[in-house]
Amino acid sequence: MNNSALDRPTFEAIEAYVLDRMSTEERAAFEQRMAGDAGLRAEVELEQENIRAVELGGVSRMLKSIAAEEVASGKSTAQGNWKQYLKYAAVVAIILSGSLWLLRPSANERLFAEHFAADPGLPVTMSATHDHAFQDAMVSYKEGKYAEARNKWGPLLQAEPINDTLRYYVASASLADGDAAAAVPLFEGLAEEPISAFSDKSRWFLFLAYVKTGEVAKAKAISFDGDPTYAERVRAIKAEL
Amino acid sequence: MEGTATDIALQPAWASGLRRNDPSTLRALYAKHFPAIKQYVLQNSGTGSDAQDVFQEAMTVLWMSVKEGRLVPADDPGGFLYRVAKNKWLDVVRSAAHKHMKVVHDDRALDQRTDAPDDIEERIVRLRGVYDKLDDKCRAVLDRFYFERKDLATIAGEMGVEEESIRTIKYRCMMKLRAFRKSISGEENEAI
Repeated sequence: MNNSALDRPTFEAIEAYVLDRMSTEERAAFEQRMAGDAGLRAEVELEQENIRAVELGGVSRMLKSIAAEEVASGKSTAQGNWKQYLKYAAVVAIILSGSLWLLRPSANERLFAEHFAADPGLPVTMSATHDHAFQDAMVSYKEGKYAEARNKWGPLLQAEPINDTLRYYVASASLADGDAAAAVPLFEGLAEEPISAFSDKSRWFLFLAYVKTGEVAKAKAISFDGDPTYAERVRAIKAEL
Repeated sequence: MEGTATDIALQPAWASGLRRNDPSTLRALYAKHFPAIKQYVLQNSGTGSDAQDVFQEAMTVLWMSVKEGRLVPADDPGGFLYRVAKNKWLDVVRSAAHKHMKVVHDDRALDQRTDAPDDIEERIVRLRGVYDKLDDKCRAVLDRFYFERKDLATIAGEMGVEEESIRTIKYRCMMKLRAFRKSISGEENEAI
C-alpha cells in the first residue's frame, strides 16, 4: 500500500468487490490479481474498513432514530387519554378567542420544549457533610419541585462553589424551572471542564438553554463533533434554527 | 467480504437483515428485545434514557459481530443482546459518576464476556473515529450509498444533482478517509 492517490477505476473495482457487485468471472479475475499484488490486497482491506465505518455511522443514526420514536410513542400512549380532552379544549379555546395565537411560544421555545427532558437526578447520596441536605433537595428535584430544590441547594452551593455536582443540579433545576438565564453561567463553566463527569451533559443543556433564550449564534457555536450521545440530535436541531 | 452466499442463505432472517442494514430488521429487534433491557436497567438505578443508551450499544455490537462473521447466529439474538447490554450497564454503574448506585442483580461472573469480544468494541470505537472525520456533505452521500445501499441515480435525484457529481463526491470523500487512515498508519509506523 503506497501513499500516492488511488485512481478512480481501481477504487471502484475494489468497491464492487467489497460490495459483492461483481460477476463470477470478474470476481475470479480480481481475486487472481489480488493474489499476486500485496498492495492491492492492502487497498481492499482499507476500503472495506472505510465502508464499514460509514455503515456503522448509518446504523448508529438509525438506532437513535428508532429510540426517539420509541420514546415519542411511549409519551403518546401515556398522554393518549388527555389528548382527546385537549382536542376539545383547543376547539373551545379557539372559538372563545381568535387571538390566542398571539400567546404561542416562539419557534425556539417550541424547539426547546420538544427536545428538553430534565436530568432524572441521582439515586445517590453525597459523601460530604451536606449529605442529608443534598439528598433532601434531590428528593424535591425528582418530584419536579424545581424551585424548592434550587432553594435547598443554594446554600450548599454557596458553601462549596466549585462542587460540580451542586453546580450541575442547581443549573438543571433552574433550567427545568424555566429560568434558563440562571442556568446558563453554571452550564457554561461545567461545559469547559472536560474532567467533570457532567461536562458532556452540561454542553447539551447549555445548547438547549441557548435555544430557549434565542441565542442562536451561541448555540450553533457549540461543537458536538465526535459526541456519540448528542451529535445527531444537535445536528437535527441546528438544521431547524 | 461478508461471507459466502451459502453462509448467508443459512442464516436466520434477522442476521441476514442486519447484514443488509435493513431498517425493518433493526426496528423489529428493537421492539422485541428492548423491554427486557429497560426493565433490567430501571431495576438497577437507571433511567429509560440509560436503557436506550446501553441497548443501542448492544445492538451495535450485535450488528458488527454479524457483519464481521464473528457470531454464529442463533435463532434468537435476545440472549446476546441482554448479556451485552447488562455488562455495559454494570460498567456504567461501577464508573465514578455512579459509584453510589446499588445494583440489585449482578451475576456478571456467570457471563464473562462470552459474546462480545473486546476487540469488536475497540473496532467500533476506532471506526466511529473514522466516520467522525467526514463532513456533512460526505456523510449525506456515503450514508445513502454504502449504508442505505441506494444507487447513484436515486441519490442524485434526492439531492438534486447529476449522477456523475454524486460519483465524484463519493470518490473524493472516500479518498479523504483513505488519506486520514494512511496518516494514522504513518504515525504508528514512525512511533514504532
